[in-house]
Amino acid sequence: MINYAYYPGCVAQESGKELDNSTRFIAKKLGINLIDMPEASCCGGGVVDGFDHNLKLYINGRTLALAEKLGYNILTVCNTCTLTLSEVNEELITNPKSLEKTNAYLSKIGLKYSGTVKVKHLLYIIRDEIGLDKLKQAVTYTLDGVKVAPFYGCHILRPSSVVKFDDVENPSGFEELIKTLGGEPVPYIRRTKCCGFQTILVNEVTSTSLAGNVIYEAQQNKADVMVTPCPLCHLSLDTYQGVAAMNINKKLSLPVLHLPQLIGVALGGSYMEMGFSRHNISFRAVMSKIKQNKLK
Amino acid sequence: MEFTVKSYRFNPEIDEKPYYKEYVINDFPGMTVLNALMKVKAEFDGTLSFRRSCRSAICGSCAMKINGITKLACKTQVSAEIEKFGIIKVDPLGNMPIIRDLIVDQEVFFDKIKEIKPYLLGKTDHINDDFKALKEGEKIKQPVYYKTEFQNLTGNNDTPNCILCECCYSECGGVVANSKYLGPAALAKLYRYSEDPRDNDKNGSRLVNGSKPAGMFDCVHCQACEEFCPKGISPVKVIVRMHEKAIKNSITFSKGAKHIIGIARSIQETGRLDEIKVAVDSVGISGILNDLPVALGAGLKGKMPPLRLKLIKDMEDIRVAFKDLNLEEKHD
Repeated sequence: MINYAYYPGCVAQESGKELDNSTRFIAKKLGINLIDMPEASCCGGGVVDGFDHNLKLYINGRTLALAEKLGYNILTVCNTCTLTLSEVNEELITNPKSLEKTNAYLSKIGLKYSGTVKVKHLLYIIRDEIGLDKLKQAVTYTLDGVKVAPFYGCHILRPSSVVKFDDVENPSGFEELIKTLGGEPVPYIRRTKCCGFQTILVNEVTSTSLAGNVIYEAQQNKADVMVTPCPLCHLSLDTYQGVAAMNINKKLSLPVLHLPQLIGVALGGSYMEMGFSRHNISFRAVMSKIKQNKLK
Repeated sequence: MEFTVKSYRFNPEIDEKPYYKEYVINDFPGMTVLNALMKVKAEFDGTLSFRRSCRSAICGSCAMKINGITKLACKTQVSAEIEKFGIIKVDPLGNMPIIRDLIVDQEVFFDKIKEIKPYLLGKTDHINDDFKALKEGEKIKQPVYYKTEFQNLTGNNDTPNCILCECCYSECGGVVANSKYLGPAALAKLYRYSEDPRDNDKNGSRLVNGSKPAGMFDCVHCQACEEFCPKGISPVKVIVRMHEKAIKNSITFSKGAKHIIGIARSIQETGRLDEIKVAVDSVGISGILNDLPVALGAGLKGKMPPLRLKLIKDMEDIRVAFKDLNLEEKHD
């Protein structure tokens, strides 16, 4: 078992509970021990920096210090949480003034951070630390014949000076994982573009048109399903898919899964266990196809 | 090494629609993509059109999409691209109309640069005199940076190094979504002037204008502008600094500012992101009613977040952070 301080982020604990449930499901199967941090706060959703930069440092410095106290690296399942925690970690490690003022705050609440924690997204923990061989051994239903469009989104790749998991111009981690599960990755240009979520409450029309373009291109490339490593992208791509279709004036109907849901299906998870009933676009037809691919 | 250059071609005077043309050429040590294009033009096809000038990553003329990513052709090595993609595929910049082949119409980009008034305002320049967010006689606060911290007198964070190459604009997710959005280069320039202590913007007019629709709060935070800037500038980071400065100066009329304040308030109260409360704070009840079909759909699927969130453990720690930073009164 490998231990990680588990940081699900807010959405996975609220409207996107299926992400948290499926993460816990596959963690058990893959020998990942998730240590909960009930004291951890919201990372600020990628925008709290625009309210006060020091607040971003303090609340995320606190989360890093909590993980350091536990003695584990942080496992994330949200792109934006990954970037925010990584940005703060980078600043605290490289800027002594920022570390000093953050520690002055942390000392008031009985914590201290010395910069030893690493923040890593589940996708790259599976690729780099669990290993794709181990994942392959755990597969009980292959995704043979299923065309999967990987949607990386932004914050798991950019800025590459902070999140250094993959090649920012031509990433491959997601495709490798899909192939390991037996699926066929669908190539399309917008796999690394923006889903628009950050402005969904500021300008819904323009925001959802970005998500719509992503889904439309994947559909045109014959994808059966889209998968994302981020619950915020999932909200844009699945929950708002109907609005996106209206805004780009195209017919859209593509099931969108969270990354651990796709893995969970291949590891034998049921429709209910993976929480597919909570999605806007049904995954039932593709799921039926996968259920015929049981390995002996 | 022999390699293929695959170029976007379109001459509206003779072509019905765009097409790609391939040229097979030999490289030489240190060959850049611009060298390759110049070789194609000199030896294979004199009609291939592209902008270029300095060949030294200073003028910004030769920006184009190389294997799908916007780069300066003169700063991009052929060998590295071939190693990664096996081909040199070139396309014109995104987010701008195409004039011919790899040449785009830059007018919309420069109109946006002009729109932010890219010069120091003098004593007689009053671009938004009717703005009343600040009290009579009060000057705009500079809460983020102080004069002593300025790296130089023309702003900081390298924004004056912008060469107007349009790489950021071509990659910007915000412009893809909304062609009226000012875009990263214009907003980085807005920041550069709003931070300059010599600028005579006494009533925060730059930040007021920048907060209007299609301004700085329409940034989608995709980080592409930082990632693909050939001069190492991060427009997205300075856009966020302007968000902070606007909010600290009570310039909060935009939905974007309300959204940020809503998230901070939610963290102050619960330690979490309260999805319902943030939505109400950002778009108001009328906005929520507009989104009722989406909300009802999500509710029927069991995706409605709880109306009352459980506080995080040790919530007092978060309150200490707000108190320490004197942020408690800012959003009551």
